[in-house]
Amino acid sequence: MLSRRAEFLVGLAVMLLAACIIWVLIPGYVTIPRRVPIQALSPSFWPTIIGWTMLLCGGLLALRAVTAPPPPDAITDDLRVPRAEGFRLAALAVLLTVAYLALPVVGMVWTTMVVFVLMVLLTGGKRLFWGVALAIILPLVLYFFFTKVAGVAIPQGRIVRLP
Amino acid sequence: MTFLEALSAGFSLVAQWESIFFLGLGVLVGVFAGAIPGMSATMAVALTLPFTFALQPISGILLLLGVYKGGIFGGSIPAILIKTPGTPASSATSLDGYPLAEKGRANEALSMSLYSSCIADLISNLALILFAAWLASFALNFGPPEMFALIVFSLTIIAGVSGDSLIKGIIAATVGLILATVGLDFIGGTERLTFGSVELRGGLNLVPMLIGLFALPEIIAYIRNPSEKDQKVRALGHSVLKWVDFRRSLKSIFRGSFIGVFLGAIPGIGAAPSAFLSYSEARRSSPNRDNFGKGELEGVAAAEAGNNGVAGATMIPLLSLGIPGDIITAIIIGAFMVHELTPGPLLFQNNAEIVYAIFIGLVASSFLLLIVGSVAIRAFRYIADVPANLLFPGVLVLCFFGVFAINNSIFDVAVMLAAGFVGYLMLIFRFPAAPFLIAFILGPMLENAFRQSLLMSRGSLEIFARGPITILFWCLTVLSITMIIRSTVKAARLKREAARSAQSMQKE
Repeated sequence: MLSRRAEFLVGLAVMLLAACIIWVLIPGYVTIPRRVPIQALSPSFWPTIIGWTMLLCGGLLALRAVTAPPPPDAITDDLRVPRAEGFRLAALAVLLTVAYLALPVVGMVWTTMVVFVLMVLLTGGKRLFWGVALAIILPLVLYFFFTKVAGVAIPQGRIVRLP
Repeated sequence: MTFLEALSAGFSLVAQWESIFFLGLGVLVGVFAGAIPGMSATMAVALTLPFTFALQPISGILLLLGVYKGGIFGGSIPAILIKTPGTPASSATSLDGYPLAEKGRANEALSMSLYSSCIADLISNLALILFAAWLASFALNFGPPEMFALIVFSLTIIAGVSGDSLIKGIIAATVGLILATVGLDFIGGTERLTFGSVELRGGLNLVPMLIGLFALPEIIAYIRNPSEKDQKVRALGHSVLKWVDFRRSLKSIFRGSFIGVFLGAIPGIGAAPSAFLSYSEARRSSPNRDNFGKGELEGVAAAEAGNNGVAGATMIPLLSLGIPGDIITAIIIGAFMVHELTPGPLLFQNNAEIVYAIFIGLVASSFLLLIVGSVAIRAFRYIADVPANLLFPGVLVLCFFGVFAINNSIFDVAVMLAAGFVGYLMLIFRFPAAPFLIAFILGPMLENAFRQSLLMSRGSLEIFARGPITILFWCLTVLSITMIIRSTVKAARLKREAARSAQSMQKE
């Protein structure tokens, strides 16, 4: 269970997201035809209804957090992120972003091999031999399955190409 | 196509070695994935989905159904042997299963779990065969207003079972609904929330969304805290399940199966409430009720029957109405879409042979589960030893390849990563993922039915109450909302009272 403060902030964040949808995204990024015979048939009608529902629910969540009694400390989630955990999360975010950007350049097989090994190292590097072995075997098996059996053109990249 | 023609066409589809092979493979993968602590049946079905598009439609769908069936049973193995339920629904199994394992009777508990699972699964499949075609023929009369009323009703039920917080369930559903609006508007063809991106014009793809939502948050959570749990696997023991024990549990098995069928057929309820209801009913009516919780075989039988009884029944709303009954059937919709099949009443008209092949395959899966389950019970010691620091990187590699392969699109990989990030945030801020996914699937259907109805009526809202079917669904919707509000208010009152008593205890 979240603490009252965290629940209140989550409610506010939902309201902010809903406000952004209603007043920024829908006017700016939903193209409305010049003549709409019925208002309910407009492409913006449905997203607007959803946005207002989200805004209302966000408000209710924040209101409930303010009015409800605080949950006992024993069952309240601790949302603080210790330094080591924060480092691993940040490293994973960087790893996945770089892997995504590297896919068309390096190719899926080589990228996922590196991602596999780095993830094993990120979590303490235990059983590294098996980690490296699996990091080589699994992407190659998947590559040959999807390329030869399923007929999917897995991105090869521009550096080393597989048969 | 007559019933007999469809049945024989379906039989000939299943009677091929590929169909039986992939069904068996699915059960095997499902049992093993369900048995690995940290994996779940949902994750296994989501990860298997990309592999199905290289197969014939029936082989692919049977593969996924096999994973589903196997995964639900597989979850009971760690529940009994290490008190770590592989699926939420297996929690009820561990109540009596683990105490039995502690007494050295794990083999008996696992055998009882397997037999009751297979019986409940078979009953659930027969219920599916009996009711799905009937419901589909009824649903053939549905026009857009009836579909709109039905989907609104389904969404209220799903919102009602969205976990601890109804408001958070609705918020998760609105996020799913808003993401479902991305793409070209189906009436005017104008762009909605595409931000000028060509890739977004076709909308967000379902498969990357669901793989991101259900596989990546587990990986992120593991990377954040990779401590390995010291799991003590209980020995199987040498005791064998006796016929007397099995026979006296039969009543609970059948009762649990029918509870599973009933609750499974209602969209959104899922297996966990069914398993607990079946368990509590067995405890209430059993002459051995005092032994429940301390290691009672009947308790294991009841929990597993309730758990597996939903497996076929959740397919009733999926196949006959096109509405997913739970998260896994929502994922299975992805397999139908990959093969350009649309679940719903028209599937019975246009692809009757596929429907009947699924029915026959499901019945066959109950028998395959019996064989695969017996092997998996003995192999569990090795399955439990799969190290998490090799499992999760492997799952991530599967996600990358699988998501790309669906549409040959690197953009889909980005969608998966973004969905994984959203899924992780939902996990830590305690938003349920099920309403998000189900609303994402039902959103376009809901909007299309609404707008088509208004086009038919030229803007008159009276069309939404045009006949007995729509009125019935509106009445059910009102009833459902009333019950949800009542139970939410009651739960909030209980929570307040608990908090007050905790506060007063702290002061003392």
